[in-house]
Amino acid sequence: MKKIKFIGIVDDDPITIFGIKKMLNSVVECETIEDYRNGKIAFDSINKKIIGNEDIPEIIFLDINMPIMDGWQFLEEFLKLPIKKRVRINIVTSSIDPYDRKKWECFKDKTHHLITFNNKPIKRNEIAEITKVA
Amino acid sequence: MLINPKIKSTSYLIKQLPTLTVFIDRDFKIIHASDKWLFTFGENSGAILGRSLFDIFPDLSIKWQTVLKECFEGKANPMGVQKYKDTQLNEKWYEWSNTCWYDEKENIIGAIIQINDVTEALANELELEKTRVQLKHQSEISKTGRWEYDILKDEVTWCDITKAIHEVSPDYVPKLDTSIAFYKEGYSRNAISMAIFEAQEKGTPWGIKLQIITATGKEKWVFAAGKPLYEKRKLVGFTGTFQDIDEQVLANVETKKNEKLLRTLVDNLPLNVYVKDIHSKKILVNRAECLSLGAKNEAELLGKDNFDIYDYKTAKKFTEQDVRVMSSLEPILGEEVISTNKRGVQTTFLTSKIPLLDEKGIANGLLGISLDITNIKQKEKELRNLIDVTSLQNKKLINFAHIVSHNLRSHTANFSMLLDFLQHEEDEKEKAKILEMLNSSSGNLLETIENLNEVLAINTNINIEKKEVNLYETVKTVKHNLEEFIMENDAQIENNILNDQTIKVIPQYLDSILINFITNGIKYKHPKRKPKISLNLLREEHYSILTIADNGLGIDLKKYGNKLFGMYKTFHSHENARGMGLYITKNQIESMGGKIEVESEVGTGTIFKIFFNEKN
Repeated sequence: MKKIKFIGIVDDDPITIFGIKKMLNSVVECETIEDYRNGKIAFDSINKKIIGNEDIPEIIFLDINMPIMDGWQFLEEFLKLPIKKRVRINIVTSSIDPYDRKKWECFKDKTHHLITFNNKPIKRNEIAEITKVA
Repeated sequence: MLINPKIKSTSYLIKQLPTLTVFIDRDFKIIHASDKWLFTFGENSGAILGRSLFDIFPDLSIKWQTVLKECFEGKANPMGVQKYKDTQLNEKWYEWSNTCWYDEKENIIGAIIQINDVTEALANELELEKTRVQLKHQSEISKTGRWEYDILKDEVTWCDITKAIHEVSPDYVPKLDTSIAFYKEGYSRNAISMAIFEAQEKGTPWGIKLQIITATGKEKWVFAAGKPLYEKRKLVGFTGTFQDIDEQVLANVETKKNEKLLRTLVDNLPLNVYVKDIHSKKILVNRAECLSLGAKNEAELLGKDNFDIYDYKTAKKFTEQDVRVMSSLEPILGEEVISTNKRGVQTTFLTSKIPLLDEKGIANGLLGISLDITNIKQKEKELRNLIDVTSLQNKKLINFAHIVSHNLRSHTANFSMLLDFLQHEEDEKEKAKILEMLNSSSGNLLETIENLNEVLAINTNINIEKKEVNLYETVKTVKHNLEEFIMENDAQIENNILNDQTIKVIPQYLDSILINFITNGIKYKHPKRKPKISLNLLREEHYSILTIADNGLGIDLKKYGNKLFGMYKTFHSHENARGMGLYITKNQIESMGGKIEVESEVGTGTIFKIFFNEKN
């Protein structure tokens, strides 16, 4: 089984977090999985790690609709952070609004990080795929 | 020829006669001639005396010899007129006359011939004849006859044309009373009688358009003119002309009929029609134009220019248009113009201006046709508003559809994921945990559906009637209902609304709005302050504005402004935040035709301004 050091999950729905974690455990070996209840908590935590020269997640599962700071706002801020390594960010949303897809394409093209787009519910094989590439 | 002394003295006498006179003997030989005669015919006595008259005037008719011979027998006759070309080759006409020449014993010894220059008289006569013919011709063409009445003889004379107009035979003899009887009974006959009477009494001439009935019973229009005639200041009769003007009058009637038809047409067109002269002054306006300019009749508008009728800006614009049309000769067709009259009333016209040309092709005015499209424009505006409202509602609907699909999808996604786990799970403990999650997920779904229903109800019940509600009392009641919550948080609610102030609302929405803002203000209180909420009411045109100010946490509007009223948006990490309150509140306000604005400063507080539409 592939080993991944650090995975982050940003979602306000505990059931989704539970689901992603459960599926991750069955396809990959991961040292640390951290979850954040909104974009702001996630950003603050990652920013603190960068300042403290600690490891940051290699893979991030990102929900869009969240209180306080949503997925897009998080991406906006995250892309400004001085991160040399290529982080894989998987947007996982229940939104089927075409506007959200357009926004994703916009973000995808202006960063060296890999950003993908998935609709909920996310499948086990999709998670396997994501972790394999990363 | 020998001339005895007696004759010689006679000869001297004759020489001096001031007339053209010549004496001939019975052989037509010239015995004496006046100097004037000699001078006139360019002869001298030596060359002429003793020669035959017919030698000197070879053109003289032989017939004259007979006439002269008769004269020698004692029967003098006029000889007639003879043409003669003088030394300057001027044509002259002379009338010759003769008398017998007697000697002392009463014997006819010859003839005395006198010659008169009738050139001028003849020319005058010719001229007169010409004039006479012309007059006759003219009166025939213009159908103008003459007439005269002699009071003394009680005699009426009509010329041939006058007779022809009356359609009587050329030998008809009119009388004064029959002349008058030709005029049509009523106005015409009365008018002519009056005219003659006035002429008789005051000497005034007349000239009137009247109708006659001719001898054949035809009705005719005539122009009868006359004047009294005086001799030694005494009225002796009347004379005048009589003209057949039937055709002109009938043509006039036809023209008038056409004019009337045109006028009726122009007046009844549902378009404003006018004609302006070269100075942009109105010279014709139809009824619609009068009506639209608020004029009682056309006289109020005739002679007026744009500056008399419209406000300065409109008048300037119109005058520029007029000048452009008349100088370029290019018509303006169907142009939309907005005009403002002196009272400031605005009207939108679809206007056309066509130049009117004189015979030289130069514009001497213009014809204007305008259609008042103010109502159509108004309708268009209303329609546009309706489209705007509809498209806004459409947008809202799409937005709502996305919200619905997103919210329902997030729950169904959880279901499908959890069920998948359940299928493959063997650990009983884990199974129980998943089941519990399924249970809570289904609870969330129910709540979501309830929320969506609530929003849907607001948006579909747009037609619920609004009622006049006392705002002060409503706030008081809400405050009472929330008393426990207010006490718990040690909050202060300041009701600054006057106790007689009312607003038009759907009462249950107002309750919900008040509860929402008051509880929000307390829920998001500042940790270092006792919550205080004050409510005020302002009046503005069309709106009553309720302001609800708190001293709570405040919201960063730069970050969240556009999402503040969105569904499931929460901005504070508060466990009771559902993200439904403001969304529903906004929907309720908008469904009553109002709007909501917000001012906030992080750490200081928030002011919500709720605009209640008082108009409809």
